[in-house]
Amino acid sequence: MTELIYGFLTGVIFGFLLQKGRVIRYDKQMAALRLMDMTIVKFMFTSILVAMVGVYILKDLGLAKLSLKSTVLGGNIIGGLIFGIGWGILGYCPGTQLGALGEGRWDTVWGIIGMHVGAAIFAELYPVMKKTVLTWGDFGKITIPQALGINHWFIIPIFVIGGILLFWWFEKKNL
Amino acid sequence: MREKENGKKAWSPYLAGALTGLLLVASVWFTGKYVGASTTFVRSTGFIERLFIPERVASLEYFKKELPKIDWQFLFVIGIFFGSLIASTTSKTFKLQGVPDMWQNRFGPSKVKRGVAAFVGGAIAMFGARLADG
Repeated sequence: MTELIYGFLTGVIFGFLLQKGRVIRYDKQMAALRLMDMTIVKFMFTSILVAMVGVYILKDLGLAKLSLKSTVLGGNIIGGLIFGIGWGILGYCPGTQLGALGEGRWDTVWGIIGMHVGAAIFAELYPVMKKTVLTWGDFGKITIPQALGINHWFIIPIFVIGGILLFWWFEKKNL
Repeated sequence: MREKENGKKAWSPYLAGALTGLLLVASVWFTGKYVGASTTFVRSTGFIERLFIPERVASLEYFKKELPKIDWQFLFVIGIFFGSLIASTTSKTFKLQGVPDMWQNRFGPSKVKRGVAAFVGGAIAMFGARLADG
């Protein structure tokens, strides 16, 4: 029960911040995909960088464990491409769509229903996918520092500096 | 290209993003939970299908892997709705809209057209998300 309350509260704060950052509505999502307005990229990348540093500090202090998903090139690449097509048509992401509904964008209702249909179709086809696409290029649970065999604190600053340069460029181009 | 809403100030995406990053770290620290959303759609699909075709749901491997159950992430996704509702209503940026502006400029005001596209797009996006395990 406590776990569910934590989940709910985390979601409320997340939804609050998403709305304040103006990153959940269709126009912002599409403007990013059309390379007109990088607001959602700034938001996402900033949160990833902060979380990356914080989570690795927790890990080094023995306070948290990483939760890795398998790198399966077949699933990641083909699934990513399919997701992108759907995202470009719908203009909302799965979770943040609930946030867009929360600020009154009710066309998300059709997207939410569609996502249930998509999940149902995937559940039907999962046995086939498991034998084909999901076996292509399966590297298991790896991280970049592991794959390169070096300490993660050599990799993290590269991402942080890369992110800051990207942000600097966005601001220069007024994106 | 960035537009401004008159008098309704958005937070800097860097600030909102950084605070979100801290939220993710706090979640991992205090509860060990990493955020996600699309698994919840599988679980709720399982709930709905179970009402109509329970034998089918019981027989599908994917619903055994992602059981229809209410878990941390399920409440997280519901929480996103309420968080956004609170933020938008308290800042007067809540707006009931069934056809987004950018869509309307390109494809016209038809709610049916938008609804069909959103439905199809949603189905494709979720299939892709599950295939990519994201």
